[in-house]
Amino acid sequence: MRHYLFFVFAGFTLAADGKLSFNRDIRPILSDKCFACHGPDAKAKGIALRLDSEEAAKRDLGRGRRGIVAGDAAASLVVQRITAPKAGMRMPPPTAGVTLSESEIETLRTWIGQGAEWEKHWSLIPPVKRAGTIDSFVKERLAKEGLTFSPEASKETLIRRATLDLTGLPPTVAEVDAFLADRSAQAYGRLLDRLLASPRYGERMAARWLDAARYADTNGYQYDGERVMWRWRDYVIASFNKNKPFDVFAKEQIAGDMLPGATFEQKLATAFNRNHRGNTEDGIVAEEYAVEYVVDRIETTSAVFMGLTMGCARCHNHKYDPLTQKEFYQMFAYFNNVPERGRAMKYGNSPPVMAAPTEAQQKKLAALNAEIHASDAAVSAKAGIVAAARAKWEKSLTGPQAWAPYGERNAAFSFDDGGAPGRLGGAQMFDGTAVVKGPEGSGAFDIEDRFTISAWVKGNGTIASRKSSDGFKTKGIGFYVIDGKLQFHITSQWESDALRVESEERIPEGAWHHVAVAYGGTRMAEDALLYVDGKPVKAKFVSDTLYRPFVNAGNKFPAPLVIGGGAGKEQRFRGLLDEVRVYGRQLRADEITVMAAGRTLAELAAKPKPERSAPEELQLQLAFLETAAPDAVRQAWVRGQELRVERERFERTFPSVMVMAESPVRKTTNLLIRGAYDKPGDAVEPGMPAVLPPLPAGAPNNRLGFAEWLVDRGNPLTARVTVNRFWQSLFGTGLVKTAEDFGQQGEWPSHPELLDWLSVDFMDNGWNVKGLLKKIMLSETYRQSSKATPALLAKDPDNRLLARGPRIRMAAEMVRDAALFEAGLLQERLGGPSVKPYQPDGLWKEVIMQDMDYVQAKGSDLYRRGLYTFWKRTAAPPMMMNFDASQREACMVRENRTNTPLQALNLMNDVTFLEAARFIGQRMLLEGGTEKDGRLRHGFRIVMGRVPTEKEMGVLRASLSYHLDYFASHGEEREAYLSYGDTEAAKGIDRGQLAGYAAVASLLLNTDEAITKE
Amino acid sequence: MMTRRGFLHTAALSSLLTKDGYAAPLTGLPHFAAKAKRVIFLFQHGGPSQLDLFDWKPNLAKVRGQDLPDSVRQGQRLTGMTAYQATFPTAPTIFQFAQHGKSGAWMSELIPHTAKIADELCIMKSLHTEAINHDPAVTFFQTGFQLAGRPSIGSWMSYGLGSENQDLPSFVVLISQGRGNSQALADRMWGSGFLPTKYQGVKFRSGKDPVLYLSNPEGYTAGARRRFLDDLGQLNQARLEEYQDPEIATRIAQYEMAYRMQSSVPELADLSKEPESTFAMYGPDARKPGSYAANCILARRLAERGVRFIQLFHRGWDQHGTLPKQIRWQCEDTDQATAALITDLKQRGLLDDTIVIWGGEFGRTVYSQGELTETNYGRDHHPRCFTMFAAGGGFRGGYTHGETDDFSYNITKDPMEVHDLNATMMHLLGVDHTRLTFKFQGRHYRLTDVHGKVVKELLS
Repeated sequence: MRHYLFFVFAGFTLAADGKLSFNRDIRPILSDKCFACHGPDAKAKGIALRLDSEEAAKRDLGRGRRGIVAGDAAASLVVQRITAPKAGMRMPPPTAGVTLSESEIETLRTWIGQGAEWEKHWSLIPPVKRAGTIDSFVKERLAKEGLTFSPEASKETLIRRATLDLTGLPPTVAEVDAFLADRSAQAYGRLLDRLLASPRYGERMAARWLDAARYADTNGYQYDGERVMWRWRDYVIASFNKNKPFDVFAKEQIAGDMLPGATFEQKLATAFNRNHRGNTEDGIVAEEYAVEYVVDRIETTSAVFMGLTMGCARCHNHKYDPLTQKEFYQMFAYFNNVPERGRAMKYGNSPPVMAAPTEAQQKKLAALNAEIHASDAAVSAKAGIVAAARAKWEKSLTGPQAWAPYGERNAAFSFDDGGAPGRLGGAQMFDGTAVVKGPEGSGAFDIEDRFTISAWVKGNGTIASRKSSDGFKTKGIGFYVIDGKLQFHITSQWESDALRVESEERIPEGAWHHVAVAYGGTRMAEDALLYVDGKPVKAKFVSDTLYRPFVNAGNKFPAPLVIGGGAGKEQRFRGLLDEVRVYGRQLRADEITVMAAGRTLAELAAKPKPERSAPEELQLQLAFLETAAPDAVRQAWVRGQELRVERERFERTFPSVMVMAESPVRKTTNLLIRGAYDKPGDAVEPGMPAVLPPLPAGAPNNRLGFAEWLVDRGNPLTARVTVNRFWQSLFGTGLVKTAEDFGQQGEWPSHPELLDWLSVDFMDNGWNVKGLLKKIMLSETYRQSSKATPALLAKDPDNRLLARGPRIRMAAEMVRDAALFEAGLLQERLGGPSVKPYQPDGLWKEVIMQDMDYVQAKGSDLYRRGLYTFWKRTAAPPMMMNFDASQREACMVRENRTNTPLQALNLMNDVTFLEAARFIGQRMLLEGGTEKDGRLRHGFRIVMGRVPTEKEMGVLRASLSYHLDYFASHGEEREAYLSYGDTEAAKGIDRGQLAGYAAVASLLLNTDEAITKE
Repeated sequence: MMTRRGFLHTAALSSLLTKDGYAAPLTGLPHFAAKAKRVIFLFQHGGPSQLDLFDWKPNLAKVRGQDLPDSVRQGQRLTGMTAYQATFPTAPTIFQFAQHGKSGAWMSELIPHTAKIADELCIMKSLHTEAINHDPAVTFFQTGFQLAGRPSIGSWMSYGLGSENQDLPSFVVLISQGRGNSQALADRMWGSGFLPTKYQGVKFRSGKDPVLYLSNPEGYTAGARRRFLDDLGQLNQARLEEYQDPEIATRIAQYEMAYRMQSSVPELADLSKEPESTFAMYGPDARKPGSYAANCILARRLAERGVRFIQLFHRGWDQHGTLPKQIRWQCEDTDQATAALITDLKQRGLLDDTIVIWGGEFGRTVYSQGELTETNYGRDHHPRCFTMFAAGGGFRGGYTHGETDDFSYNITKDPMEVHDLNATMMHLLGVDHTRLTFKFQGRHYRLTDVHGKVVKELLS
């Protein structure tokens, strides 16, 4: 195919005018057939002749031999060698795996004869706008081929085409009728405006962006556990709907976090470059994958925005494009400064992450804050009354009660009846044998829960634990004093899946000390804070690789909370423990200080006020407010505290998202020899490849500067690559067919001047995407009928010349969305967590590890649009894969379509499409009048958007009558056929009729037309 | 999509109807006369221990329990699972080895059935790989590259060589679950990467739908479906006449192929008509749908029907701990059926042009992961040498290639890259591995990347 196409274009070229163009005609040949050896990497291979630069190709190689002698093909070494009669002498050699065709040889010969004029690679020359219009450029080209535009498509076709292109869904029958009825000249323009204003537009545009950004709901690689990135997906939808200028959209995603005063949304945008896969396997070398993530960012960023295959320069100088290996690592340096780890979290997001509340959550949070503020104000308003009442209360205090912070008190052991003298009242003596069990369900935290354990200790051993069995290395949580040092462990698997921190200093022996650990649920050692006597202490991170929750699909974790032991006999506590408290939240430092005040309320009250420390005074105040203040104040205070608990619980429900961040100190980047993580070469500074423009004046030399450079007016690539991709979304193929490669190996644009015109126009209009799409869709080029003729097919099989409109199969998610929409089943709701619609049983089970299974949604989540379908990279949704969706393991910008029997089976037999057919059948019955013909016509219009021909009606009538007869006499089969899908049919519909019309609807859904944009 | 657009007209539809199921071979392929027409790849997923199956090291008994000498380990990187171990106690196999066949190949007592066909096997003891963890190692094995994104072997072969069966896909994947420690598989291991999606492996599953969405809905008979397709054909034909789009012709053909698959696949998957002798040969497990043994019978049936590439995955070979117990299970589940498949193919005259390959993504360490006891040990991943075997299709039977040192740790003779195995396999299929390429992102990619050589010694 490729050779055939090339031949066609070469043919056009020669027919058009005799003069050959280096960029158009010669470079593609040299690049594809010669550069691999005689290109930028030639020197490394010990090859003298280079053909990638004019100077090198024409220089004297010794004894007057030159690769190319301008104007003299026969004297040129290149021609001599590509036409050498001896096989051993002939280029390219068999080992190159490529051959030159006769016409290619002839083209080279002609060009040299014409003077061998060189040109800089077209895509590196900034685009200029020649006067013209979309149609004038296309027509100009067609005229050279003796072709003209096809007639305009029918209005029915046009509205369906435009609606599919801009919303991803077909038009309704009513929309078609309204459009047909609108005979004004502005009807079509108004249609486009309506579609561009629809929120569905953002969903449609986002779908392809997710492919490019390799977005998924799992981490990939082996465990392929779940991650949470959908807030970024929703950012993309919202950005398209807002018609955010594309340069802003790009800049935010590359470096939103570094913009001055970065907003929540700008930070959220940077998740773009955290969408790459993350390896979580136990045995990996983390450094190896840390490199892969950066490489993925460069490959994705350069393919999506610049159409460059930068990844090729990772191990050696680029073989085709003027990019050196060093330049690759200079670019690498821009993306290498994220405080991240090579080993990703097995479950959930890997740092850096941020909480990403939805808009509704942000509103609710603001309301909660206001309420908290009001409660606090109510308490402070009564300060005078409180002070007086408190003085009275203090005088009444007796007994061993102490006070501890309010909120999420999970368990407390005062040990006042423990028999030994304690720090506060009595204490419990532990002798290394007995332990104290906590109440049922206490301390039942998992690795992502926040919690705090505090105690007064005098001795060594386990303070508190919750373990799968009585052992030190077993799964669970443990808080210890060992050899005088405070230790906190969360163990999922001792060697490779555990968090362990240990205080650097020893706690002085022989006295009471207050100790605490406050853990924030992030699975990171830095988030397990140790305190001794109310002060944070420095800790050593002994292990910082905690990944797997205790409770997962395959495992429960019912272990009890144990005080003084539970973590192995050797580690049982010896000594005294007092006031062991367990909280279901991460206490703040000031709260821990209050506990460490270490006096009973009565003792504190007995102290004269000036002698009390701040924590002591605070403890009295808080204890009073909670337990003894006048009712109105106490209730307001308690309400305020409870709201705080509620707020924290609420905040924990916020989705998180992985984002980009900059390490404060820039990491050194080294060139990696042959791309290997463990073979660092020279250190490199961040910088742009020499062949591209430098950073704009004043731009910082970091990721933000890179982002600014990317969308700078002087960048020759970004606008071209972007408009080309939007063109591709409308026409199926870009003006540059290789949408991911604008380099030397990429294809020459079919309409270079049009591409440049669109690019400059796009930038001139503020990178306005909706404007761009509208402009293209208003063109005559776009509005042509997609009917072909044998002559046109023979001349231009792939419709690159655009003498007809696009006729292409819908993208995977559109095939499903359209069926659901036509059935009236589609649940339209923008954004939200990914959903799990129908999927054949067991697909995950047969390939995955033990602990993740597909739990199918119920109710409305079965019917959301495809871009919300949960995407597991290693076992992607089968319907999507059948219809050529990108696997989402790596960036994919070119649209790919095949035509297979699996697609046929999918449409005929998948419950999704059977249920959709049933509901289209129901609509035919309920909305199509009382006559068969009216109903059939209605069904046909629902699916195709047009009125059927008489011939088609004949087929539908026959099919209906066959199915009605069949189901009339096969009651059991009828009920079985109608049983697909969770949603019940409307009441009162005749079952035989429903089955008959459902079968016809299935027929409609299976036509080529139903899944094709015409 | 790749080849036909533009050459097709309505008149060509009749030939399409019979021909365009899965693609025809690429122009110019095969590059030279092929010995083999198809491949059955029995992938043992997880990394079977070469030390307990094929690579007999009698001298290890003398150094049992001793720390693996540094001179052997040579500072090689270890996985994160044993890197923390203080010692690396040498763990000889506890299984008995003996020589088998005329060739005198050493095999352990774990695989008595395989031992009986020793002379059919071309045993390769000197394979090695760069990857040290499962996911990259299997991805490398199946696609020639450790990271995702490239086509799998079967996709390459079906892209290059096309199909020999009008009613079945050219690349079929069968998965069975082992009893040992299992690791995850991923779609990409049989995916088409940057090749068109139609070349991806089609997973056959046990149960009602051997291929996803194969069965008509309940209550909908094959007769009704035939009628449905006739009506559909008329609607599509009308559109084709109006629009002249060859894709419509292809669509019509694909629906017909789907219809044929609705009978050909269940017929293929239905083992009930296999004689008693088949089950006696493949073992009692063969009656369990989805078992490795049942999949081996299916593999033979697929081979008989001309399917180009038949990829089995049997999970459960990742024996980090309790290796002796687990590997016994794995061998009980696979040994008889593997040997039966090769024997069966031979009896049917199919072995001559069918390549059978057995092996996993890497080997296992000679030192014990975890405690070494009289009856128990574990082994970590070992990429520096491992054993595979091939049979039929022009591979040299009764031959053992390559040697390893006394610890089965380093290769001492004839090292073989995974790319070499692929190059050799392709050679036997009539494909020059340097010439089957696909241009993507500006590069001419091939399965063997820039590596691979045909290992002549392996050829019969």
